Parts: sequence; structure tokens; C-alpha cells
Amino acid sequence: MSSEMEPLLLAWSYFRRRKFQLCADLCTQMLEKSPYDQEPDPELPVHQAAWILKARALTEMVYIDEIDVDQEGIAEMMLDENAIAQVPRPGTSLKLPGTNQTGGPSQAVRPITQAGRPITGFLRPSTQSGRPGTMEQAIRTPRTAYTARPITSSSGRFVRLGTASMLTSPDGPFINLSRLNLTKYSQKPKLAKALFEYIFHHENDVKTIHLEDVVLHLGIYPFLLRNKNHIEKNALDLAALSTEHSQYKDWWWKVQIGKCYYRLGMYREAEKQFKSALKQQEMVDTFLYLAKVYVSLDQPVTALNLFKQGLDKFPGEVTLLCGIARIYEEMNNMSSAAEYYKEVLKQDNTHVEAIACIGSNHFYSDQPEIALRFYRRLLQMGIYNGQLFNNLGLCCFYAQQYDMTLTSFERALSLAENEEEAADVWYNLGHVAVGIGDTNLAHQCFRLALVNNNNHAEAYNNLAVLEMRKGHVEQARALLQTASSLAPHMYEPHFNFATISDKIGDLQRSYVAAQKSEAAFPDHVDTQHLIKQLRQHFAML
Amino acid sequence: MSLFKARDWWSTILGDKEEFDQGCLCLANVDNSGNGQDKIIVGSFMGYLRIFSPHPAKTGDGAQAEDLLLEVDLRDPVLQVEVGKFVSGTEMLHLAVLHSRKLCVYSVSGTLGNVEHGNQCQMKLMYEHNLQRTACNMTYGSFGGVKGRDLICIQSMDGMLMVFEQESYAFGRFLPGFLLPGPLAYSSRTDSFLTVSSCQQVESYKYQVLAFATDADKRQETEQQKLGSGKRLVVDWTLNIGEQALDICIVSFNQSASSVFVLGERNFFCLKDNGQIRFMKKLDWSPSCFLPYCSVSEGTINTLIGNHNNMLHIYQDVTLKWATQLPHIPVAVRVGCLHDLKGVIVTLSDDGHLQCSYLGTDPSLFQAPNVQSRELNYDELDVEMKELQKIIKDVNKSQGVWPMTEREDDLNVSVVVSPNFDSVSQATDVEVGTDLVPSVTVKVTLQNRVILQKAKLSVYVQPPLELTCDQFTFEFMTPDLTRTVSFSVYLKRSYTPSELEGNAVVSYSRPTDRNPDGIPRVIQCKFRLPLKLICLPGQPSKTASHKITIDTNKSPVSLLSLFPGFASQSDDDQVNVMGFHFLGGARITVLASKTSQRYRIQSEQFEDLWLITNELILRLQEYFEKQGVKDFACSFSGSIPLQEYFELIDHHFELRINGEKLEELLSERAVQFRAIQRRLLARFKDKTPAPLQHLDTLLDGTYKQVIALADAVEENQGNLFQSFTRLKSATHLVILLIALWQKLSADQVAILEAAFLPLQEDTQELGWEETVDAAISHLLKTCLSKSSKEQALNLNSQLNIPKDTSQLKKHITLLCDRLSKGGRLCLSTDAAAPQTMVMPGGCTTIPESDLEERSVEQDSTELFTNHRHLTAETPRPEVSPLQGVSE
Repeated sequence: MSSEMEPLLLAWSYFRRRKFQLCADLCTQMLEKSPYDQEPDPELPVHQAAWILKARALTEMVYIDEIDVDQEGIAEMMLDENAIAQVPRPGTSLKLPGTNQTGGPSQAVRPITQAGRPITGFLRPSTQSGRPGTMEQAIRTPRTAYTARPITSSSGRFVRLGTASMLTSPDGPFINLSRLNLTKYSQKPKLAKALFEYIFHHENDVKTIHLEDVVLHLGIYPFLLRNKNHIEKNALDLAALSTEHSQYKDWWWKVQIGKCYYRLGMYREAEKQFKSALKQQEMVDTFLYLAKVYVSLDQPVTALNLFKQGLDKFPGEVTLLCGIARIYEEMNNMSSAAEYYKEVLKQDNTHVEAIACIGSNHFYSDQPEIALRFYRRLLQMGIYNGQLFNNLGLCCFYAQQYDMTLTSFERALSLAENEEEAADVWYNLGHVAVGIGDTNLAHQCFRLALVNNNNHAEAYNNLAVLEMRKGHVEQARALLQTASSLAPHMYEPHFNFATISDKIGDLQRSYVAAQKSEAAFPDHVDTQHLIKQLRQHFAML
Repeated sequence: MSLFKARDWWSTILGDKEEFDQGCLCLANVDNSGNGQDKIIVGSFMGYLRIFSPHPAKTGDGAQAEDLLLEVDLRDPVLQVEVGKFVSGTEMLHLAVLHSRKLCVYSVSGTLGNVEHGNQCQMKLMYEHNLQRTACNMTYGSFGGVKGRDLICIQSMDGMLMVFEQESYAFGRFLPGFLLPGPLAYSSRTDSFLTVSSCQQVESYKYQVLAFATDADKRQETEQQKLGSGKRLVVDWTLNIGEQALDICIVSFNQSASSVFVLGERNFFCLKDNGQIRFMKKLDWSPSCFLPYCSVSEGTINTLIGNHNNMLHIYQDVTLKWATQLPHIPVAVRVGCLHDLKGVIVTLSDDGHLQCSYLGTDPSLFQAPNVQSRELNYDELDVEMKELQKIIKDVNKSQGVWPMTEREDDLNVSVVVSPNFDSVSQATDVEVGTDLVPSVTVKVTLQNRVILQKAKLSVYVQPPLELTCDQFTFEFMTPDLTRTVSFSVYLKRSYTPSELEGNAVVSYSRPTDRNPDGIPRVIQCKFRLPLKLICLPGQPSKTASHKITIDTNKSPVSLLSLFPGFASQSDDDQVNVMGFHFLGGARITVLASKTSQRYRIQSEQFEDLWLITNELILRLQEYFEKQGVKDFACSFSGSIPLQEYFELIDHHFELRINGEKLEELLSERAVQFRAIQRRLLARFKDKTPAPLQHLDTLLDGTYKQVIALADAVEENQGNLFQSFTRLKSATHLVILLIALWQKLSADQVAILEAAFLPLQEDTQELGWEETVDAAISHLLKTCLSKSSKEQALNLNSQLNIPKDTSQLKKHITLLCDRLSKGGRLCLSTDAAAPQTMVMPGGCTTIPESDLEERSVEQDSTELFTNHRHLTAETPRPEVSPLQGVSE
């Protein structure tokens, strides 16, 4: 059959059916038949077509929507001078998660990440980023599992997300970029776009910085070139002008240039490109990219306005609604976030992120039964992983459906993909044990959590409380110190330490720890009590 | 991932390993039968054409033989099948089959079969066109507004549109800027062809413009006339959608509006007739096929979109109305009226699954796999639980000391150090000076009794000794294997190691019945390297600045017999003097008194005395043991040479302080470097480039400083390391002297060693000084304390680098003092007192009364951190996280 079919036709069909490996292999065979060096022979359109089809197939294999890629490396964080204001007004910045104006659950109920935001219901790349103030802080960020750890290099993530490096062919790269005459290709619009995507998505693993330069050049080349042509040919050829002009008006290239600028961290330039592209043609993607730029520039309000503007043009677009909800969530405005997530569900009621976020929101606002229904929905939809069962177990426990609790956790344990997850499940089991008053079991669970993840600060803290109840004060203190050094953003270890120190009469240390606790959670009433009491003590002395 | 799955009405699997694509499925009343029922026409890349008319007896039935009306082998790959009025003079529907080089039109007629065999079809070729170019896809319609017949337009792989007016070929035109074919559709409202070109834009060509444009065959000749001719193929409108399209479809369900639907790779567009976007929807999965099928409410259009996650989504404009699971990835989807059932969804997968289904609330029965569990037997469970609880309790009681069960070793490790040097020295990269560095071969033999996994041997010797290889891996797949490895040891740097002992450690896992992965276990084996590896015979010298004298209780032994390899002269009168010369350059002399039972060791460097002293004592013990003398003992009188020892401590400490200063400087420079970088970056990004104002020079200068400082830090680290080795030697010597002086037992020596020689590495943050200080103060507080008052002393819980060493020196002096006054080192007496757990120095006993009070503290439960709610799902951007169902 295949022998009868035209190979290019078959390859094209493979591509459409997303059988990229077969497509690329077939194209390779076709290209091998007529040896060509680097660039396709312009005289043979078939080879040109095969060449570009292969490039597209290779790109699609590693394609990631650029909108979803949003992790900042240390270098990007530190060398970013785009910050608008050091002390922004409340509610206008993502850097200072504002205090909860809208009456969501407090920190005492819903745990926070190191960046000071409540834990979200859905793990996205960007939910983990918290910007440390200095390089030193960034490097010393406690490596506690997954609380806001900066990644060391941006090039690493591209390798991780798209496994392009593993796909490189044994006889060298498919397209040798350094030998590519970019100027030439920029004049061939039919090749240029596919080639650009290939370079942007497939090749970025080798030397990101260097290649981004290339990408930028390729992106800008047509742009600059057309500019130049525009002027030169103005005098020469009126007819050419119109085509050049229409080419110059290509919003797609502007978006690509914007993407390159964004990767290079030149947000203002990226913003300009995206804005100009939007003026030409309003597209959902462009709105998303521009909003991403604004989030990077720490202007959430502008991003929100932009999303709403996008919604006017594309009513009911799920990605835009979801973007709004995410920003509200990051700004600590839980009720608005939940509202928009509900809006998302009205448009697309299979949206996992929305279901999960609403579920966790209900859970933390003391409605475990409703949360349970959301999580059950996810389960029915076929999501089958440890996290979900963990959450189901917790919901069951708090909704007093004890029969399901342990089986859920059992499943969560058997499904846990890594030790961190298993540690969290054991930690929650410890909570259940505390809840039913079996301190021995609780003790063992927390110990198991620590066996699985030695940096589990919460488990250290709870173990300390148990030790304290047993009367082992020194052990409790040691554990609390470990916990607070692992997770300085948690107020519990500080407060516990302050209470213990207070009880054994070490008022000075108690005071210091209480102040740390207050810094981590200003509204905590017990801490305030303790500090007041200590102040009175000191005054008496 | 959806609540529901598509309800199977009828399904079959076509052929064996045949391939299908988008164009291969068509639904039409192809045999023009009177009841107007649709037939399913499927062509495959293998060249088979099949026509089905399913009429299942009951829902979910498989295909019966009589459902298949026709199956023919056309011998050419079928790219597309369409049904239309393709034959002139009749308005009957005919079947057009597109092969890669041929277009055939058939008439299909049905004949009623006999009672049991069902109906069947015949196919008659009406006409065929041989194509000059490889075809890709086709579309049909009443081009130019002709009534009552359909014309066919074929797109070739190289971009030519060929129009056939039924039996005759009309014309062919090349599309401008063509590279790869895109989907093709004909819009009857505007009488134009729509396609998505390689430039990622939707292009619309008027049929009339196509018809009047210059003939494609003359394209080459008319290249230069193109501009002026006016007959050039001009595009009607274009819309840049920024991606390639999978399919394009034009529908008009009511007269007022017709819409162009484009299914891109990542978005789904609906365009107006003039090429403006009516709406678009970003898809977060990869679509495979689509079909706008009807308009349920005014102004909206429903669309079926299949994707590569085996799902079929139904959108009303952009709102998801239904999602359903399919058993395969659809490459083509159609809706039709089959067997009096309206609106049957027909899907075809690329490996030949043909399914007719309808929507329903059949839950997709996702069965969570059972957690692997044993059969519950409550009696056994209780017994095992009790047993495990007991073990846990024991472990907790013994404070983490694992109950060591003595049992036969699974693995025997033995080390043999060869008595002679290697004939050719294995030493490489030696920094010792002029002397030739010898090396000695060590042979490690492993013998296993049972099957072991992942056995790893690692060997460690004290630096500056070096190994040629220190890691080995073995696999003991069968019992009673013997493996031998050998490697060489030599001295690498020009100072002396603190010990001549080496350590070979084997780690392995021993699989058991319950734990097939194996229980990790470790075996270690020590070996002693010969003194001559680092030491040569040398000239004895009478004078030296550091001397120590060891007393024994037996008559002196000839040094020659003690150190047989080191006799430099054969003179008998020199037997009581012997010189040693370390490879690094230090000289040590050993003198044996002729009359008294004393030995004296002297050297210019205090720490160099250790190795020889230790060697001397060991050899003496060995000698007397051979003689059969049991009660041999050494002793040391006189004061411990603490002054010399303190000098070494000071030197080490000074280097540490120095290192800290250097690191501070380095971090300052690094901050400065980054600040300049940031400045420069801002300058370079500026649209109007400002002068650099020598920032580049500054950057360069700072860079050089950073590099120089880093070099200095590295050098200091090397010095620190060397100094630490010396300090360790001296510490060993001091411990030895204290032991000889106070005649300490082996247990007590072990305690001293544990206090003075912590196992952890000496680092900038946590160094030797504070660790030892904490350990000694603990000893002073507990077993060597004079009064109970001292025991209550509290120490700061954090170990920091001290300001100076005076505290440490004071404590060491005090320790010697207490020992000389009869203090005994013993840890067992205070075992009842709580031990330090995590951080040393943080332990004080607390009166019991406090505790009870605390345990009834009412708000202690509140102190728990909150339970951690796990995030629901880790998204991987390349896989869409969205699936489900709506109602």
C-alpha cells in the first residue's frame, strides 16, 4: 500500500493524524534520495515540501503552548529591572499578597506557600513562583519540597518540558542553525513561519540564550528587512510596495517577536509588539500573551482589564476566564476567583482546574461535603491520581464519612508517584489519627512522613506537639527549631516554640519566637496574646 | 475523561491493518434508493471500497454479513470518496472516488437480495480521468452557479486546482505561494474556493477569477507578464490565522448566514463570508476532525469536534454542550440518517474502527484498580500488628539504636595489603617533591553466601593518601561467588596523613521474602597500610624541638628488630637510635634507652610525632605478644604537651577566620558584579543608547577581582585542609598521651576520640572548634562535673563559629585537669537523662513537675499545622488537562 502511495502524500496524511515519528521518518527517506546539503533545492518543490513537513513534525513532537510555560529562573528574577514600584499600593501587585479583604479563609485555616499565598487547588507552573528579594535569599530558599523554589536556570526547564534533546537524530541536528541564511528565508513567507516555530520550539534546548538570539533575529529580520525594503523599494517598485506592506502588517510575526522578547525578559518591548498585533487582529492567544507580560511586570490590574477586554471580543472564552480567576487567586481574592471559576464551568463544565480550585476553596471554607462532590466529579471523569484520593480522603474525614477515609488514603498511598507525595499522605493520615485521638498512630504517621520527605516542616511541627504532650520538652524544641528553619513562612512552629519557651520560663526566646510568628501571621490572636503577656512580664521586671 | 461515553449502536472493524484518513468516510444515499436512507461509504489507503447499510437487530450489535452491501478492491489507494450529481444528464447521485493519479465516477445501484442474504449493490464505472499530477483532496459543488449538477475540483500535491466539468476537464490553475496542500472547500454563496495555505492564512479564490486566470501550464512563460496581464490569480480575501488547519467546512443552515468553519491545530474559528472572525475558541487538546452539523437555536451552530484524547466534544458556538468518550481516535466524523434513526454519529479511526453511535448518559465505567491487598484474616492481623507494635516500641525505647541481631554474614570481605611495593609505582600527579613515591597494592576479596543485589564497594583512605580507584560495583547473582579487586595506594601531597588505616565498605541489599527489593546492609573492613609507604629511613639527629618519652615495664628492645625495614646502617652501636624521613620532608628520630625501659621520640614538628609513636607502641605490643609476655604496658609521665597542641588549633582557626573573610569579600564582589550587570543590561536595552560611562571597565575589573578572590578562597581551602590533617594527627597524639598517662580503658579512649574527632567534615559553617567545644563541655557537664550545680548549666543551642579559641583551650585544659584528678569518662550513668536529639548542646533536664502541667494545656491541639491539601493535578502543558462532560 505504502509503496503505491505517493510518499509525500502519505507523510502529509501522517502529519495530519499526528503520527509525527512516522512522518519524520518518511520525510527523511525522501530527503535522502536526493542528497542535498542544508537547504532544500528551490527547483524541487517536492523536496522543499518534505523538508518543511519534517521540520513541522519535529516541532509538533515537542510543542508546548508558550502561554503555559511560565517558570522563572534565578537569573531572570535577579536581573529584572522592570519592577514598577517597590512599595505598591495594596491590591495592585502580586508581590505583596494583600491581606484578605474579601473574607476568605484565614491563614490559620488554609496553609500558605512561602510566597505568602494560600495554597491553590491546582498546581500550575506559575503558582510556585515567588520572587525573592536578593540573590542570597534566592539561593538559600529552603528546599522544602515544592514551596516556591526558584529553578536555577531557565534552559533546564525547556529540556525538561520538551524532551527535544532526546529526539535529536544520531547524525547531527536536522537543521544546522548556524549555517542557515536567515535573510534568505525571511523572504519566503511560506517557509519562514514553519522554520521559526521549529527554531523556537524544537531547538531551544541546546543553548537557550544563543538560540534565542537567533530566534530573535529570525523573528526580527523579516520585520526589519521589510522595514528596509519598505523604504528602498518605495522609489523603485510601487507594486512590490503593496505586497511588502501587507507583509509588514502580519500580526503573527509581531506576536512571535513579542514571544522572543518575552523570553529574553524584555517585557516592555514584548508589550509593544503584542499591542500592535492586537490592533491588527484580535486573537485569543495575543490577549493571553499580553496578559502574561503584564503579570510578569507585576501589573495584575492591567492584566485583569485586558482579560475583560478580551472577553468583550470573545465572550465566554474559557482561557480568558481562567486567566482572570488565576490572577484573583494570586491576589488573594478568593471569592472573586471562585466566581470566575464558576463562570468557567458554565462554559466548559469539564474544566479540571476550575473544579479542583472550587473544590479546594469549599474545603478550606469549611464545607467539606461540597468539596467532596467536586472531587468525586473529578474522579468520575477519570482522573486517577494520588492527589485526588488524598483530597477525597481528607474531605471524607471532615465530612464525617469515616468509612471512606482510610480506603481513600490507602489508594492515595498506592498511587503516590514520588516520596514527597507519599509524605504528604502520611502527614494527612497523621492528622486523621490526631483527630481520632490515637496519638501513637499519629506519631508513627508523622515519623513516616519524615522518612519519606526529610524536609517536611509541618510534620516536624506536629511531631513536636506530640512530643510536648508526652513531656519531652527538649525533643519538642529541637523539632520545632528544625521546622522553623525549614519553613520560616509558617507561623505554627514559631508560635509553638514561643509557648514552650514561655512555659519553661525562657521569656527572652519566647518573645523572639513570638515576634517571628507575628511577622508570619499578623492576625493570629494567640500570638498577640502571648506577646502582650510577655511585654507585661518584661515591664514588671 | 468524561462522565459519559458514546452509546454504541453499531460498529465494525474494517480490514486488516488498513489505513484511513479524513476523506475516506462519506454518508449518502448513494444507490438512490427510495427510502432515502444514508449508506456509509468507506475507502481505504489499501484500495478497498466498502458500502455499509447497518441495521442492527438490537443496539450495540456487531456488523452482520448483510450489512455490507459492497466490497471491491480498486487496486489504488482511495484518498477521498464523495457523492454528488457527477454524471451529466441525470440528477441521480453518483460516487466519485479519488485515487492519487485517477478520478473515477461510479454509479451504484442496489438490488434486492433473496430472503436471507440481504441486499447488495453493484457498481458501474461511468467515466474516469487520469491525472497528470498527484492528487491530494477534492471538493465538489455547483461551481459558477450551474443548476442540477456538481462539478469537481481536485487539489494536487504541488498546488494545482483542477476543475472537471463532469466528463470533461475544464482547466487547471496553480495556487500562488503554494508549498503544502491544505484543506479545500467550496462556498456556493460566494462561489469561491477556500483553503489554508502554507503561509498560515485562510485564502479565498473566486471561481470566476480562477476560470479567467492565465492557464497554469503556461505559467513559466508568462512569468514576466504576470504583473501587467491582469489575469494573474488574485486572491479574494485572506485571513491570517497563524496556524495550519486540519479541515475547513462551509455551512449555511438558514438562508441569512453562512459561516466558514476552520479547524486549526490549536484553535477553532468561525468566519463570516468576507473573512472576518465571527468567533474563535482556543482548544487545549489536539483536535482530529470536526463537523458543524446543525443549528439548534437561532444564530448558533453546533459543532462536533473529535480529539486525540478519544473524546468527542459538542459545542454550541463556543460553549461546551456535551462531551463523550469514544473507543478510538476519530479521523473522520459524519452525521446521518441510518435505518430510520436520525442523527447517528458515524466515526472512523485511522486503523479502521467504524462506529455508529448516539449520545446518551451511559457512564464511562472507569474502574479504579484494586489496591493490592492480602486476604484479611483478623487473627493473623492482630498477631502481626502486635509484633510490629512491639518492634516499634523497642526501637523507640532504645532511642534509635537498632537491635543488632548477630547472624552469619551474607558476605565475607577480606583485605590483603601486599608486603612489597609495586614494581612500577602507580602514583600519578604527585606533589611530593623530589622523592620517588612508592605505591602498594591492596587486594579486596568478597565472597557471598546468598544472592545479593547492588553490592558496592567503596574504599577510603586518609588524605593525602590516594587510591587509584575507590568505587567498585558487583552483582552477586548466584551464591558462593568470589570476586577480587585490587588497587594501589600512594601518597599524593607533601604532608603526612593522620592515620595509616584504610576502610573498605561494602553496601548491598539482601532480598527477603517480604521485601524483594532487599534490605540495605553494610559491611566494613579495615586495613592497615605499611609505614614505609610514606616514610623512608633517614639520618638520626640528636637535637629536636619536640620530644616525648614513653615508659614501658619491660626491658628495651632493639629498634632494629622493631623496625626491620628501616635499618640504615648495619652498625651494632646504632641499634638504639633510628631515623625516619617522611616523604614530605619531616625527620623523626627514635631513641631507645640502653639502661632504662624508655623510648624517646623527637622531631621538629609536634604533629609528626604521632605516626611514629603510634607505630612504635603497636610494634612493641606485637613484639611482646609474640614473646608471650602478657602484662606489657606503656605509660607516659609528665605533662601533656598542650601548648604545642594549642598552637596548631590556633593556626587552623586562623585559616578558618581567613576563609570567612575571603568569602564575605567574594559575596560583596558578586553583589557588585550583578549590580553592574543589571546597569549594563538596562543600558543595552535602551532604545536610545546612552554611553556606557566605563561601566564595561568596571565590569571587567570586578570580574577579575571575583576570579582572584575565588582563587584565594580555593587556596585557603587547600591550606585549611592541610592544617586540619595536621590538627587531626596532633589530636590523635594528645589522646594517645592522655590515655597512656591516665591509663584509660579502651571505652574511655573511645569516648575521648568521639569527643575530639567528630565524624563530620570540617566546614566553614560547622567546624571542628565548635563541635569539639560542645562535646567537651558536655563531658565536663555530665560525667566530669564536680557538682550538680554545674549540670544545670545551659548552653546555647546553636553551634556558631566562636570568636576565639580561648574557651576551647580552657575547656581542654579543664578536661585534662579533671582527668588527672581522677575523673572517669563514662556515659552510662547519665543514660537516664535525656540525650540531645537534633542539635548538640540543646539538652538540659527539666524538672518533672513542669511537664504534667504542660500536657494538660488546653490549646495545644491548635498548634498543629493545618493538613496539607494536595494540589489536584500536576499539569503538563503538552497534555491537556481538560476532559469531561456537560449537560
